[in-house]
Amino acid sequence: MKDDLSLLERIKLHDQQALAEVYDRYFDQLYYYINYRLGDSEAAADLAGEVFLALVQALKNGKPPKTSLTGWLYAVARNLAADHIKKQVRTVPLVEDLVADEPPLTDRAYLAQLVPTLKMALRKLTEDQQHVIALRFGQGLSLAETAQIMDKSVGAIKALQHRALASLARFIPAEVNDDG
Amino acid sequence: MTDRFESILDESISALQAGVPIEEILAEVPDYASELRPLLYAAMVLADPNPELAPEERKAALQAKYMSQVAELPPVLPTFGNKAQAVFRIMRRRLTPKTVLNDLITVTITIFLTLAMTALILSYAAANSLPGDFLYGVKRISENVQLTFAFSAERRTALEDTFNQRRLDEIEELIQQNRAAVVKFKGALNTKVENLWIIEGITVVISNDTLIEGDPQENDMVEVIGLLRTNNVLVADTVKKIR
Repeated sequence: MKDDLSLLERIKLHDQQALAEVYDRYFDQLYYYINYRLGDSEAAADLAGEVFLALVQALKNGKPPKTSLTGWLYAVARNLAADHIKKQVRTVPLVEDLVADEPPLTDRAYLAQLVPTLKMALRKLTEDQQHVIALRFGQGLSLAETAQIMDKSVGAIKALQHRALASLARFIPAEVNDDG
Repeated sequence: MTDRFESILDESISALQAGVPIEEILAEVPDYASELRPLLYAAMVLADPNPELAPEERKAALQAKYMSQVAELPPVLPTFGNKAQAVFRIMRRRLTPKTVLNDLITVTITIFLTLAMTALILSYAAANSLPGDFLYGVKRISENVQLTFAFSAERRTALEDTFNQRRLDEIEELIQQNRAAVVKFKGALNTKVENLWIIEGITVVISNDTLIEGDPQENDMVEVIGLLRTNNVLVADTVKKIR
């Protein structure tokens, strides 16, 4: 996740090879990120493509990323994902409706059934909390990498992660917790 | 307390991502187990161990659309500031103690070898030069360097004798070529006849302006500095008794 400063300098000069390199390097991770947030692979691919078109537009407008290419790309991906979620919010069922009514199965199978519930619950968190969860658990980034992308301190990311998980943990059924 | 819990939570998440079972993680921090358990289960549910790739055709189509827009971007020529920044970045990357030391060693060795080679070539070229020649100074410097590094008295005396013999040979050569030059040599005062002294077989004219130091007598060793004229007359400027 190390930001390549020379790549950023080259894209500021509209170097086509550098811009092609940006796509190769970042498309998959941005797609993972958006797909994690949306749970919609079709829309995720479209929006990942839009991130790169936004980069071209920014270069055309003379407003390229200033210091962190990675941070800039993720910020655009985050905004696109948030806008998409807002548009869909009326069609999304309530989180409470999604909690499984079936009797508990074995842990793994039961937890797998909770994925859609927690993904829906994720959308109720603040934008920063959703971003942290997507980067930490969708992308598997470290605290430091997440902090770099979000331009925040590691301490702030720890606090966001804690609050987000505490909110989501409310949807973990008591019987799973009692098993320990 | 919150900070401590947040750190424990993050360490537990790292262990979870490394494949450690939740109950094993909780056993390490029993005081926090009840608070930590639901959070770790939530983290486990939210983890996406096998993220799905976008279909290749879709990715390629989006890339083609992107690159077509990239192709329309006008070229931007680097400004002086861009170039200066690039040079500064390269220098900053190079300025580690190791690279600075390596560069210093390389520069020092290069300078030393260049100077040594130059000195060697010049001293070789100056070996047959005579007083008044362009490279004669190099010849004398080379001799002085040899004298500086002659650490034993015997070696120094032997070198001084060799170099003095060179001075005499040079005077012979200048006389043969009818060339004028300032010369300096040492030798035995063979005879003194009025204003004509013969020193080490060379006739030296003593003028009214000649400075004579130490009242030298026949068979004394003297040092002579004088002007050899084109008519092969050597007029002494100074004659000094040295022993």
